[in-house]
Amino acid sequence: MSRATVARAAIVLAVWAALATFPQWSQFWESSRFAAGIIRQILIFAIFASSLNLLVGYAGLPSLGHAAFFGGGAYAAAIAAQRLGTDQLLVSLGAGVAGAALLALVVGFLAVRALGIFFLMLTLALAQMVFAIAFQATDLTGGSNGFSGVHRPMLFGIDLSAANDLYLLVCVTFLLVTVLLWRVTTSSYGRVLVGVRENERRMRALGYDTRTLKLSAFVLAGAIAGIAGALSAYEFRFVSPNDVALGTSVTGFVMVLIGGAGTLLGPVLGAAVVLLIERVLPSQLPAQTILGIVFILFVVFARQGIVGAVRRVARA
Amino acid sequence: MTFEDALQQALNGLSFGALLFILAAGLSLIFGMMDVVNLAHGAFYMLGAYVALSVTRATGSFWVALVVAPLALAVLGLIVEPLLLRRLRGRHLDQVLITIGLSLVIADFIRLRDDWGWGATVRSLPVPPGLDHSIQVAGSDYPIYRLFVIGFSAALALLLYALHRRTRLGALVRAGVGDAQMLSALGVDTDRLFTFTFAVGAGLAGLAGVIAAPVFGLQPGMDVDALIYSLIVVVVGGLGSLSGAVAGSAVVGPADTFGKVLVPQFALALIFAIMALVLLFRPTGLLGRVRLGR
Repeated sequence: MSRATVARAAIVLAVWAALATFPQWSQFWESSRFAAGIIRQILIFAIFASSLNLLVGYAGLPSLGHAAFFGGGAYAAAIAAQRLGTDQLLVSLGAGVAGAALLALVVGFLAVRALGIFFLMLTLALAQMVFAIAFQATDLTGGSNGFSGVHRPMLFGIDLSAANDLYLLVCVTFLLVTVLLWRVTTSSYGRVLVGVRENERRMRALGYDTRTLKLSAFVLAGAIAGIAGALSAYEFRFVSPNDVALGTSVTGFVMVLIGGAGTLLGPVLGAAVVLLIERVLPSQLPAQTILGIVFILFVVFARQGIVGAVRRVARA
Repeated sequence: MTFEDALQQALNGLSFGALLFILAAGLSLIFGMMDVVNLAHGAFYMLGAYVALSVTRATGSFWVALVVAPLALAVLGLIVEPLLLRRLRGRHLDQVLITIGLSLVIADFIRLRDDWGWGATVRSLPVPPGLDHSIQVAGSDYPIYRLFVIGFSAALALLLYALHRRTRLGALVRAGVGDAQMLSALGVDTDRLFTFTFAVGAGLAGLAGVIAAPVFGLQPGMDVDALIYSLIVVVVGGLGSLSGAVAGSAVVGPADTFGKVLVPQFALALIFAIMALVLLFRPTGLLGRVRLGR
């Protein structure tokens, strides 16, 4: 590891440690609990956006159906916990990841055949099918009423139902996912994905099976989105068809683009910006309109997102 | 299912297909010319329906709304294309992303306009007088408005076909679809042509919104439904050509209608399955020229 990498890792760990202990050191602030809730949600959506970023930013696959795996993971975790009658974290989280990965395998099998904008159309349409299933399979998912009464999990003997324990769970998972994505994107596999993004035909000529590569990235991203979905089910104790809907896919895409696609930090910043606009701005303001306009401005004027803009300023 | 039921459902399927044609024609036209999949197409459709609602309330006439709402959407297209899309010419994916942002803004705008009688509750637009009764078709009552939709859509298809094939403007559009760069080199102002195309596409979405409103009503989420259906139609039929939109809507409309009657649980799965099959075995769509993938 180069010295710069070590320095960066040290900064990330320091920031993470400060964040992970936020409920403790901010406990005398009157809004501490509210702020901790917002941070939890930001980190959950940061995991979701980061997984989408693996597709959008690294593999060059603009998926507009990623909510299928977020919501699919949330439903799988909630349903598994209910049906198996267990509160064990590893069971429901595992079910969430496996369910989302399986779904991603099916959707991806069809979608990776299409290129560019068509990939976007197909992922959108196929995810809408998942939404329709979630909406119609009332026995399993609760249909339009959603799935309520999700239990907060236990890790072996430790009860994670208190807000602070859930907070720590989200923080630790976020760190693990970030490390995983860092390893993946800097590995030779990650480089090959970027190669597929830049010039798929050349990568094929070099002997890479690009369709399988894209499918593998799609499944990995789906599985990670499933982690985010399961965490969201614990957080809200509720899963709704909205978690699978186009709106959630769009939110993820907006997070990636605003923060900066193709960077590890970007989606995290994007998730923070979007959730601050949605949850913290006064409710009289039209949050979706503001998001839409901010998104359009970023696409037109700062396509590389916040991270790209900061880099450009730093270089100038 | 008796013969009468089957006939009734066939007419339902045909009228739904007719509506899908109006919707998909606009999406396909814009794509054919600009290589942009307009993801605000569903939002344009929704806005067309709500504008029609307001115009009908103000003037008391559905027919005025049928003219005004598409024109209003066309004007919106005339503003949006030069303002947003032109800056990103050549960056197709970014243009698509812009239309996502646009659809967020439009849907939120409609949701917040309670004071205009829009808002987040379900609204309905009455079937226009004269078309609000039923006639006898093969021994059972059938709402005449749905027959009107079929006739209207067929007439529109013929009109579009004639414009496309027989006029100078149509020739320009065909040339632009073929090779916009060459057309530009030949001295045609392609910027204006693109703006015009986008406006017509937006107008068609608005038109579909007006026509659909008396049947399906107006509610939040109708934009997403319309977008999904029009995407499926163009994937099945083939993007970028009028005949593709006809073929796609002729397959998807009846398939969806019969699916909902015969296998209510799997109706949506049915049309998605059709889309998946087309994609696997005929990646250009039934009548398309553009390959969607490899």
